[in-house]
Amino acid sequence: MSNWEILWSARDQFWRGFFSTMEIFGLSISAAFAIGCGMLYLLEGSRPRLTVPLRVFIDGMRMLPFLILAYLLYYGLPAFDVRLDAWWSGVGALAVYHGCYFAEIFRGARLTFPPGQVEAAKAHGFTKGKMFFRLILPQIVMQTRPLLGNQLIYALKDTAFLVIITVQELTAAANSLSGTYFIPTEAFIVVIGFYWVVSVVMEIIIKQCGRFSAKRGFDNV
Amino acid sequence: MNASAWHMLLEGAWTTVWISGISIAMGVTAGLILALIRLARIPVVDQLLVLYISLARATPLVTLALFIFLSAPTFGINLDRNVAGILALTLNTTAFNAEIWRSAFRNFSREQREAAMAAGMTPWIIFRRIMLPQMMITSLPGLINEMSFLIKGSPAIAVIGIVDLTRVTNRISAVTYEPLPPILVACALYMAAIGSLVWLQRIAERRANRLAV
Amino acid sequence: MFEKNTSEQTASEKTVPDDAARTDRTAVSIRHLSKSFDGVEVLRDVDLEVREGDVVTILGSSGSGKSTLLRCINWLEQPDSGSIHIGGQRIGVNDAGRPMPVRELAQVRARTGMVFQSFNLWPHLNVLHNVTEAPIYVLGKSKAEAEAHARELLEKVGMSAKANAYPSTLSGGQKQRVAIARALAMQPEVMLFDEPTSALDPELVGEVLAVIKDLSAEGYTMIIVTHEMAFSRAVSDKVVFLDKGLIIEQADPETFFTNPSTERVRKFLEREVI
Repeated sequence: MSNWEILWSARDQFWRGFFSTMEIFGLSISAAFAIGCGMLYLLEGSRPRLTVPLRVFIDGMRMLPFLILAYLLYYGLPAFDVRLDAWWSGVGALAVYHGCYFAEIFRGARLTFPPGQVEAAKAHGFTKGKMFFRLILPQIVMQTRPLLGNQLIYALKDTAFLVIITVQELTAAANSLSGTYFIPTEAFIVVIGFYWVVSVVMEIIIKQCGRFSAKRGFDNV
Repeated sequence: MNASAWHMLLEGAWTTVWISGISIAMGVTAGLILALIRLARIPVVDQLLVLYISLARATPLVTLALFIFLSAPTFGINLDRNVAGILALTLNTTAFNAEIWRSAFRNFSREQREAAMAAGMTPWIIFRRIMLPQMMITSLPGLINEMSFLIKGSPAIAVIGIVDLTRVTNRISAVTYEPLPPILVACALYMAAIGSLVWLQRIAERRANRLAV
Repeated sequence: MFEKNTSEQTASEKTVPDDAARTDRTAVSIRHLSKSFDGVEVLRDVDLEVREGDVVTILGSSGSGKSTLLRCINWLEQPDSGSIHIGGQRIGVNDAGRPMPVRELAQVRARTGMVFQSFNLWPHLNVLHNVTEAPIYVLGKSKAEAEAHARELLEKVGMSAKANAYPSTLSGGQKQRVAIARALAMQPEVMLFDEPTSALDPELVGEVLAVIKDLSAEGYTMIIVTHEMAFSRAVSDKVVFLDKGLIIEQADPETFFTNPSTERVRKFLEREVI
């Protein structure tokens, strides 16, 4: 049997790894998006005492490697009697870490958000929450989509770090296959192909969103 | 944490620093060379470079490090793990740096180049004396930003057994049974390193803005 | 107007010929020059002779091809046909009729100096180094020699106080005066000015024109594309009028401005306040 045939016969392991990675990625990125939006809402200033600590927290996270945060959750939290397994530590770390990046991206766009629109909304009697979710957030998300797209790719790549805290995902699958059959080159080429295809697909989707957004006139407000 | 724990931690920090440092230096230079090659638009070579850049941007560092370290022996190459780590970081960062350099080239002012040509400068002198010094200033913020990404990605080399600043916290807690303190100290060291890069980036941005007349 | 040939040329290696010789010798010779962009003809069979020591101003409405003509002279634009000689040497095409190698082209370009509408100073170099850069790296002058010459030239354009300033801190008029010094530093056989005052605020135009006037009095050969009629009348030995890529009138300034032979030029002059 050639190496490629060996890999083909072990395709189930790849698929399991792939779906595991996509599951982790999908779950954590959704949570991260929610965290980012929530942080942006808090930064709107309805609770002034929260804004400074929140900014410090966001900036602090952006100065850390992702893996050290995963370590903190996985190895560090038991000191406070909070025990997360590797999988949840990984998902949690990804969500918080990339949530902060999302928040920072949104914050940058919020700074240049036309104040006239906010005033118009206030004049029409919008509540703060309605104004944020109906007016500000949708525009900011559409406007920042290229940066969000980049961040999605970073988040996808960061899922691979979880192999180090023993999460069974795509890179772990390649690692164990290459160990079992001693065919590292082929195994990793396949896995890198998986990551690449997902990234390219995400890029295409982001571009398609761009077309939709241009049609709706989000870009030239 | 006792003295030997501190000692180990600093050793881990040093490993992160020197491996990142070498990778940054090689990545910045190789990125410039790739950008120059891409500007020449050599058929086939150009497409290969586009593919490389696209692949390098999509491949997780952990995966890349494992790939290089594990598959090198099957080609009869015995790679030291440090070399494999540096290679992985460099291959990754080069792709990003190449794009930074390339955009600096493409945005370079045509008028300034014309002024240099009118003064009788040859393309090489124009590149070396007029373009490169300015491109270094305009690219620096992006390059520094990429350096902090590299440091944030550097714990990936732990996967091939290099004891860097992240991995060393495991080693320490294996002795002390207290994982939290070394992790927190490592966090602080990372923040100091990346924080100073962010600070440098701001200075570099100010300088670059001053150049834009 | 061009009797004096003073001071600055003394430092020169390529010394400018003395007055007796310079009046008849051709500095720039343009023959049958044609050029089109995307099928639009911007220059049509242009012929122009510029003698050493002459100041020629090129006038015409925008889009008449005057900037393109100037940019062809130092090959920043490549003409489609025709030839240009600078001091007897053909630019852009070598003896074998092939495109010139870049190195050789650079050498011919170095015989001209160009001043651009948008100054195009190099922002990473201070004023002094903007002026010394090409003399050092193209002519191979020593740093000391280049700097001494640069200081003289900055003095001449009234910018010596700003020798250590960076371009971004200068006004438009100051930038343009530095750009003139930078071009002069190469001791060119001909100076090319491409609308040197068009990008300036009105109150800064005067200082730049005054510098160019001084140069004309010193006997420099200059070709100037401009919109400044009074200036053109005052400094020119010859005025050339371009319309739709054709030279439709060449004359001495008196004739050109008081008694032009074509209706087109008369109309053009009517619109201008002289």
